[in-house]
Amino acid sequence: MKQHRNFWFFLGTLLLMILAVPAATSHAASGTFKVGMEAGYPPFNWTQNDASNGAVKIQGNSTYANGYDVQMAKKVAKSLNKKLVIVKTEWDGLQPALTSGKLDAIIAGMSPTAQRRKAIDFTDTYYHSKLVIIVRKNSKYAQATSLKDFKNAKLTAQLNTYHYTALNQIKGVIKEPAMKDFSAMRVALESGTIDGYVSEKPEGISVTSANPNVKMIEFKGTNGFKTNPEDTDLAIGLRKNDPDRVKINAALAKISQSERDKIMDNAVNEQPKTNGDSENWFVAILKQYGNMLLKGTGVTLLISMVGTIVGFLIGLLVAIIRTIPVAGNRFRRGLLKVVDWLLSVYIEVFRGTPMIVQAAVLYYGAAQAFGWNMDRLVAALLIVSINTGAYLSEIMRGGIISVNAGQFEAAHALGMTHLQTMTKIILPQAVRNSLPAVTNEFVINIKDTSVLSIISVSELFFTGSTIAGQNFQFFHTYLVICLIYLVLTFTITRILRLVERRLDGPQNYNVMANQNQVSAPTDNN
Amino acid sequence: MTSLLEVNHLEKTFGTHKVLKDINLQVKPGEVLSIIGSSGSGKSTLLRCINLLEQPTSGAINFHEQNILANNFNVTDYRAKVGMVFQSFNLFNNLDVLQNCTIGQTTVLHRDAAEAKKIALEQLETVGMAPYINAKPAQLSGGQMQRVGIARAVSMSPEVLLFDEPTSALDPEMVDGVLDSMRALAHTGLTMILVTHEMAFARDISDHVVFMDQGVIAEEGTAEQIFENPQEERTKTFLKRYLNRV
Ligand SMILES: Nc1ncnc2c1ncn2[C@@H]1O[C@H](COP(=O)(O)OP(=O)(O)OP(=O)(O)O)[C@@H](O)[C@H]1O
Ligand SMILES: [Mg+2]
Repeated sequence: MKQHRNFWFFLGTLLLMILAVPAATSHAASGTFKVGMEAGYPPFNWTQNDASNGAVKIQGNSTYANGYDVQMAKKVAKSLNKKLVIVKTEWDGLQPALTSGKLDAIIAGMSPTAQRRKAIDFTDTYYHSKLVIIVRKNSKYAQATSLKDFKNAKLTAQLNTYHYTALNQIKGVIKEPAMKDFSAMRVALESGTIDGYVSEKPEGISVTSANPNVKMIEFKGTNGFKTNPEDTDLAIGLRKNDPDRVKINAALAKISQSERDKIMDNAVNEQPKTNGDSENWFVAILKQYGNMLLKGTGVTLLISMVGTIVGFLIGLLVAIIRTIPVAGNRFRRGLLKVVDWLLSVYIEVFRGTPMIVQAAVLYYGAAQAFGWNMDRLVAALLIVSINTGAYLSEIMRGGIISVNAGQFEAAHALGMTHLQTMTKIILPQAVRNSLPAVTNEFVINIKDTSVLSIISVSELFFTGSTIAGQNFQFFHTYLVICLIYLVLTFTITRILRLVERRLDGPQNYNVMANQNQVSAPTDNN
Repeated sequence: MTSLLEVNHLEKTFGTHKVLKDINLQVKPGEVLSIIGSSGSGKSTLLRCINLLEQPTSGAINFHEQNILANNFNVTDYRAKVGMVFQSFNLFNNLDVLQNCTIGQTTVLHRDAAEAKKIALEQLETVGMAPYINAKPAQLSGGQMQRVGIARAVSMSPEVLLFDEPTSALDPEMVDGVLDSMRALAHTGLTMILVTHEMAFARDISDHVVFMDQGVIAEEGTAEQIFENPQEERTKTFLKRYLNRV
């Protein structure tokens, strides 16, 4: 069994957990059997909105959990004569919650690895998974019964899983590059670019029930893959020396293999559908993930807006410093030169390297080198601000330089100092002139904050990846994300153009309209 | 009477190009001095040296018998007393007409806003631009902008007002309005130094005229002396060319 499906999936559930805010509970002596799970790992456990198909209410939450794990938990709780309580818990929080007594058991698709056994105990296996191969019904491999039959077959499996390494057990197989997810493999299989893919049985049940053109090849005895129980077995996690362990093992022993298969078949059929049949996919995504999308959009807007504003201020400051006329005594000149040099280094470095690299260096680098554990959002705001500052400082400098020399001279001729000239006359014009560039930078930032997914900031793109990692509807999900980006950039461009026009005022001056405001003596009767 | 402004042996070099050579000038209070001469003779440079928009290479400029080139001389205070009207107006594009005329008063002279506004309105009224106080420079014609430029300079209550070809960027029909404003100013007794190609106007209002040629003062005298009875050959040629053209 997978110990971690993949990175995205993990982070996605993490995000869900943060949203769900699991309520802290105290360890009750008896009465309840508190079971922890992610409620986001179908077909073993998932979250649904109603109690259908025997789902169990999630504690402190209006949603319900269901799946193979939930059905097994019900049986175990019944045998213990306790009331089942499902506590939705993020993956990394499961073990601490168990050892600290917030949970009585972990039933979360967890494999009893040696590593985990150091901290907690496990019951006997409550699910044993077998590797199967999914093929097209009309292919010659449809009749295969043994791994030997897959000589010269083009096979693949999911990236970073033991499924893929298991391919090495097939002699003469043509190992295709590993793929990111099941939907990619399903498409590849249908299109004929591969002859089959290795997966665990639940996916086999799932895909064969959805697609009549494919077949799942199961292997008997030694004809199949040799696997490590650490990978294929699931067990219930308990606190060390839990006295209930014997009772639970006895309860599990009473659940026959056929009963287990039936529960899994049901779970596969009842798990959240990857494509809503009744509903339009667009509405379905919005309905199911609307809150996440809204949050992601908010984060993207926040980062790009704050980043642009702070970056603008940085840029303005740098530009002001870099346009100070080189004059005065030697010390002042030398100082200006050094500062100017430092600033140009800043600009070159941040304009000359990708923001994604800057983010990685700042966030991961700082953590590793100095032990700074920055908040992701703070790191994101910092990077975007500094990066934008580098771009805008050159734009603002250009804006200052491009203000007609006559404006400087007229101000100086009135007796204004350089500072007065800058603040009252030059900067307002420079800022106005560079407004389109700043707007442009804002729009660029809205799009470019997507690279911050490297430091797992839950901005819009990251949210999209999280959603797609759950529903496997990559095309549709990213289409929605794309649309949101487009709406954002389009409306913001329009709004800021309007602001610019407002600032400029009307093209023509209407003397008649203005005479009323003139308090010149001749106008008064 | 002592001079308000005195220029002694002034030289200005751009790179290797000597643009002003041994310029000597005296301007008395209330005097109107016109500087004429062909293009490139250094008229603008001289004017810009006087209010320190250009740093003179050598020589001295005294204002109220104080050396303005001295190290400890307060340049901004001095510039506030020496107004400048530019050929290309140089109104502040980000400010409206009224603000153009108050900004210097409030930031440099520290007049309070109400007083600055009152003075600005008076001056704008004088040049006939009062109806446009809320207009932005971009909404005005050249002649209107230059009249605002004059009002802006005069609002600072300067002791000397410098004009660098104030009408040469204007359409002919705009010129008279600006010249009228300048004439009115001259009649108030304001000291003025004027670079111009408007010979009739210069003859009309000047107390003193300087003819510049290739960086030197070739001839100077009263308006009558220069225009009616020039002594130098270069002056005669220059004036003849202008009279023919006009
Ligand atoms: N900043 C500068 N750098 C180099 N040379 C300059 C600069 N300013 C003026 N000059 C040169 O100095 C000379 C005098 O210029 P100036 O503008 O004073 O002439 P002018 O008499 O005002 O001419 P015009 O009637 O065309 O305005 C010209 O040859 C000009 O090219
Ligand atoms: Mg000139």
